[in-house]
Amino acid sequence: MKNPILRAANLASPKQQRNWDWRAASNFIAGGAGGGLLLLTSLATSLAAGFAPEVTRSAILLGLMLIGGGLTCVWFEIGRPWRALNVYRHFSTSWMTREAVVALVLFSFGALALLTLHPVFVVAAGILGLGFLYSQARILAANKGIPAWRHPRSIALMVATGLAEGGGFLACVVSISSAALAAPALLALIALIAIRVWFWKAYLGGLVADGAPDGALRVLSGLDARFVVLGHVLPALAVAAALAGMPGRAGLAFAAGIMVVASGWFLKYTLVRRAAFTQGLALSRLPVRGRGPAGAATKPGWKVTPGTKTG
Amino acid sequence: MEAAQPKSVKHVPTLCYNCVSGPDFMCVKVVDGVATEIEPNFAAADIHPAKGKVCVKAYGLVQKTYNPNRILTPMKRTNPKKGRNEDPGFVPISWDEALDLVAGKLNAVRAKGLVDAAGLPRVAVSLGHGGTPSNYMGTFPAFLAAWGEVDFSFGSGQGVKCVHSEHLYGEFWHRGFTVASDTPNARYVIAVGANVDVTGGPCAVIRHADARVRGYKRVQVEPSLTATGACSAEWVPIRPKTDPAFLFALIHVLVRENGLAKLDIPFLRDRTASPYLVAPDGLYLRDPQSGKPLVWDEVSATAVPHDAVGARPAVAGSYRLAHAVVVDADKERREYSDVEGKTAYEMLSQHIDKYTPEWAETICDVKAETIRRIANEYLEAASIGETIVIDGQTLPLRPVAVTLGKSVNNGWGAFECCWARTVLAALVGALENPGGLVGTTVRLNKSRDNRHLSVKPGEDGFMVQYFNPTTKEEWQSAPSTRNLHQTLVPIVGHNGAWSQALGPTQLAWMFQGERPDDWSMPMPTLPDVWLVYRSNPSISFWDTKHLAEVAAKFPFMACVAYTVDETNYMADVLLPEATDLESTQMIRMGGTKYMEQFWDYKGVVLRQKAVEPQGEARDFTWITTELAKRTGLLEPYFGAINKGVSGVSPLKGKGYDFSLDPASEPGSEQIWDAVCRAATVTLSEGREEHDLEWFREHGFYAVPMSRLEWYLTPTMEKLGLRYELPYQERLLRTGRELGRRLHEQKMNWWDEQLSEYTALPEWHDVPGRWIRNLEKSGARIEDFPFWLLTTKSMQYHAGGNAAIEVMHEVAQNLRGHAGVIMNAKTAAGLGIAEGDRVEVRSHIGATYGKASLMQGIRPDTLVIIGQFDHWATPFAKTIGAPSLNTIAPMSIDLTDATGSGADIVRVGVRKVEGVAA
Amino acid sequence: MTRYVMSIDLRRCVGCQTCTAACKGANATPPGIQWRRVLDIESGEFPDVRRTFLPVACMHCANPPCEAVCPTRATTKRADGLVAIDYDLCIGCANCVMACPYDARSIVHESHFAYGDMPMASEAKRFDPDRIGVSMKCTFCVDRIDLAAITGQIPGVDPEVTPACVNSCISGAMQFGDIEDPQSSVSRLLQETQHYRMHEELGTEPGVYYIWDQS
Repeated sequence: MKNPILRAANLASPKQQRNWDWRAASNFIAGGAGGGLLLLTSLATSLAAGFAPEVTRSAILLGLMLIGGGLTCVWFEIGRPWRALNVYRHFSTSWMTREAVVALVLFSFGALALLTLHPVFVVAAGILGLGFLYSQARILAANKGIPAWRHPRSIALMVATGLAEGGGFLACVVSISSAALAAPALLALIALIAIRVWFWKAYLGGLVADGAPDGALRVLSGLDARFVVLGHVLPALAVAAALAGMPGRAGLAFAAGIMVVASGWFLKYTLVRRAAFTQGLALSRLPVRGRGPAGAATKPGWKVTPGTKTG
Repeated sequence: MEAAQPKSVKHVPTLCYNCVSGPDFMCVKVVDGVATEIEPNFAAADIHPAKGKVCVKAYGLVQKTYNPNRILTPMKRTNPKKGRNEDPGFVPISWDEALDLVAGKLNAVRAKGLVDAAGLPRVAVSLGHGGTPSNYMGTFPAFLAAWGEVDFSFGSGQGVKCVHSEHLYGEFWHRGFTVASDTPNARYVIAVGANVDVTGGPCAVIRHADARVRGYKRVQVEPSLTATGACSAEWVPIRPKTDPAFLFALIHVLVRENGLAKLDIPFLRDRTASPYLVAPDGLYLRDPQSGKPLVWDEVSATAVPHDAVGARPAVAGSYRLAHAVVVDADKERREYSDVEGKTAYEMLSQHIDKYTPEWAETICDVKAETIRRIANEYLEAASIGETIVIDGQTLPLRPVAVTLGKSVNNGWGAFECCWARTVLAALVGALENPGGLVGTTVRLNKSRDNRHLSVKPGEDGFMVQYFNPTTKEEWQSAPSTRNLHQTLVPIVGHNGAWSQALGPTQLAWMFQGERPDDWSMPMPTLPDVWLVYRSNPSISFWDTKHLAEVAAKFPFMACVAYTVDETNYMADVLLPEATDLESTQMIRMGGTKYMEQFWDYKGVVLRQKAVEPQGEARDFTWITTELAKRTGLLEPYFGAINKGVSGVSPLKGKGYDFSLDPASEPGSEQIWDAVCRAATVTLSEGREEHDLEWFREHGFYAVPMSRLEWYLTPTMEKLGLRYELPYQERLLRTGRELGRRLHEQKMNWWDEQLSEYTALPEWHDVPGRWIRNLEKSGARIEDFPFWLLTTKSMQYHAGGNAAIEVMHEVAQNLRGHAGVIMNAKTAAGLGIAEGDRVEVRSHIGATYGKASLMQGIRPDTLVIIGQFDHWATPFAKTIGAPSLNTIAPMSIDLTDATGSGADIVRVGVRKVEGVAA
Repeated sequence: MTRYVMSIDLRRCVGCQTCTAACKGANATPPGIQWRRVLDIESGEFPDVRRTFLPVACMHCANPPCEAVCPTRATTKRADGLVAIDYDLCIGCANCVMACPYDARSIVHESHFAYGDMPMASEAKRFDPDRIGVSMKCTFCVDRIDLAAITGQIPGVDPEVTPACVNSCISGAMQFGDIEDPQSSVSRLLQETQHYRMHEELGTEPGVYYIWDQS
């Protein structure tokens, strides 16, 4: 990526990160959904009666493709792709290493699950899918340089949206295969939608309360209404309508699934790209220039209001 | 491409003199013959106030060396038409052909005579920025000395855009060509536009940083918050060009509100002309017999000559004298009987009475209480009565100073500012005393290396002055230079190139076009040959479009070229010179030089060839010697070198003889070897002799110097001399004489300038002059509601840095570089956002750049840093930066009596879409 | 134990960018890449305005978030406090760039030069292909620090083993040395002055101290 010369007036302020572009964002977008899909598929398979083998297979395949596709995108983004295997060198603290390890095991079990549909492998793939999703959430949260990511509530949000997207995908897969979605499954989807919106609101509220760069807050606040309505209210209504017996149940479930997935992806794209403002640089005190008082703190690009925690 | 292990790594000691605040020390890291890095030279840390360091500019020198846009072979023009829209069609030629071309033109001049029918030199030379070229041009000064009459009139900005009035009046009052605070001892500095943390070089930067940590207070009085303002304890955003009013009010507070009793009475009484008695007609009352100015002796209660032994002159008051004379212009003598004489201080006191802080507030937009507080803080910090011991000598310690910046100390209002700040120093005894206001070097007087030696007794108890004569017999009615410096500017003197270069150089450019209706002198001609060195007036002067058009008319122009630029675009021959890291020259360092370069050591430092010159570029000493040879001037050329013209001391003196024999045609190596030896022998008083090889290894040679050399007052005291302050009787008389001469020639076009010759300066609506000039051109003031100013940048500053990529890059970390700085609120009102492209338009044109919004600038002011707007210089022409010079007019109306103008113009600003024409 | 730190006296800094340019020279960074720079920060409203110059670079944190996230161990915290990058291990994933709250790191994916596509002699001499596509940042001039271990010279005292920015600073704003040594110039200066570290609340324990007043 280019390193454009920034204007001096903006140098200290938080800036949108420019190192992770759509390719890196795709890993979070697709991989997270894939992890969620694998988990929900395994849950459905083990807790409920399960789906027809081709439905389960399709879901697992889709999950693996999403994860694999995301990782491939990342591979194209990193500066030294031919040394990509070095990613495995720091399991003790790096969530990126852990993500890569999980991915490796996940693909092994995923492949076995795909081939055998043996419940053990399916469940293992599901648990690893969750692990992958969680690793991704922790990758973002470990980045202290991006306040919108490092907020502790971002982890729950990332997991919640991954699961909701997984649910959405599963609803789509099942709808297409014309297997009827049972009421508990539809209720589960509503629950996933409700959980995500709850964590979203908790995250946004926490971010506003704890402070974040103005740019990040502007972007995320601007997203709020659309995200809630299109990603939650409408799909929930569609699922509710299906539950209420409205004709075209499969279509409604499919539409709801798509809305949940699309909104989740939009959220993650926004979070990884547009709302990813850096910390910026700040002065806790302005220096004494010979004589007179030191100046108050300044933190360009942040609104510092009384009673607001900064940092 | 390579990343192999280097075979050889050298650290070559050398110097940087990219600006007047040099030289500073550095080393060039050379890896396998390639310069890769600039480093400080810590071997000089103990003798250099800046501890062996160079500023940011020097770190661009590696790129300067390898810039692919350099001219690397001699070139000649193939398109006989000249102009901005005419491709010069430069083609490479050999050095022989290039030198023969130039020498041929020079020989033709010698054959015709050095001076043309108009009495003007046929050869003109333009040199860049503030005397820096002489630190790079090797033996060229010896060539010029050998040549004879040369016109330096076509300046690139010096003489009018430098700190011009400070140069002239500073040197007049206290031998201060540049004037500084004695920062190492300072406690309180009022910096009126003085941007020393940007322009003062590493010596000033470290000294002011030390002073801040020590707890000194600097008050920055300036319309915008420059880097220096940022580093000051207080910023006073004054209305542009109203600085004289602010300074007058400070004097008012000291003189009228505090009173003489709180001032430094001994200093005023003994070291200034404060006690001199002034007649009702404004001239000094003089002793009828000796003609000496009279003072009132409090011991005998009689008027006695100023130097009467045992007298105790009264500083204030009015006294009745039975009999005295005055001497007016043209030595007209008038007798007075029973006349009242007021002391000069009394005259000042009455004069300044009307300039109250409340009055100043209405002019300057600075609150009266702020002005009053600053004046009182200044007085208190002056700690009158305190002393300091320096090298065993007890001197007054007066740690206060008022420093002035560019456009405050040049152009209309500058005389008033220079006077006021020098008076402010005198009132508290801070003039040329420790902690106070010090001059650092002389250029219009000799010896240039020791300003103390320039102080000799002159008229009326003052030091000697060498004004251009204004008497009927001696006044130069037919100018000998195209900027008329001897004709129009008495105070600039006639001390060679410096006096010439400090004349009103814009007149040289202007009068090639139109002249005043009542012009009665010979018509100015163009020089047959114009040589340009390290100078780009088509960028650095005003009304640059017009200037480039004039430059295109010169019949023959040879430019020493680094890259193609806006001036050499009109050249007939380009000569590629070895640049900073490729060439050799020895220069003086330390002692007391420009800006804050006053050291505890003095000596010499070698700029040496760290790497081989790129392409066919040649060391300028080689180029000069070749020219001398081809013009038959080897004999006088080496004669001048032997006299020390291009070195640092004569090559022959008591107990040593390194003089060069022209017959043997010594090469550059031999020349500098002799200079090295002579310099060390003289500096060490015969104890040491070092050759060029020694300097290549060690870089410099220094001997200790007493700090007493920083201060002129002890020398004045030793000689029993007074500073010519606060009253300006000499200037009053000089102005009257000059007026008579011009009027005798039926010329009135300089009358407005003559009004500046006053004994005590009056406020005269300085900013109004720019407004009236605008209205005179037919423009409407409401269309041009802003003041546009410029300010310097440490990163670009000079030295062709606008073409250096890394300087541009790092400068962008600072606000406003390569843009138009404006007040954020003002911009919002005009719908202008950060980074928007804006047009800044004056009544003569427009310039374009990106808006840089700041809170630290007055709402009525815009600032453009630096002077860019290049259209020919590679790289620089791509940065899209604006320039004040494009839209600031040259005008007699905007020229003060010293011949200087100021970088200020009324403008309008608006947002434009896309790239404007 | 040794921990090398830097102190920056904000009272002294004039924003001249000498350190920025010296760093670019010493480390041969390509156009647009500055391992350190001096920011120009304005606060307040006309006429009550302050303008402060803030030198920033890698803070060489004791608890470096970049090190924790690095999946390759290319970024390591050394025993002497320096945070280092092994260019041969780094895969250029940019995770460390995101983790750093000081905008200290950058990645260059393609070589480019001051005057276009072709390097000048000085650039060609020093071009290092190993630095393409990997994370880069201020190293505290690690080669010099390592040289000190061989020669016995003292970083912060002997210029040859002191970071280029510190050497170059014309306002004397920067000191460098071992904070664990109470006699080092940096330790003594910090004892005499009031200072802070940036974003201390993030728990990074930066190794750069900003001085703003005397004690």
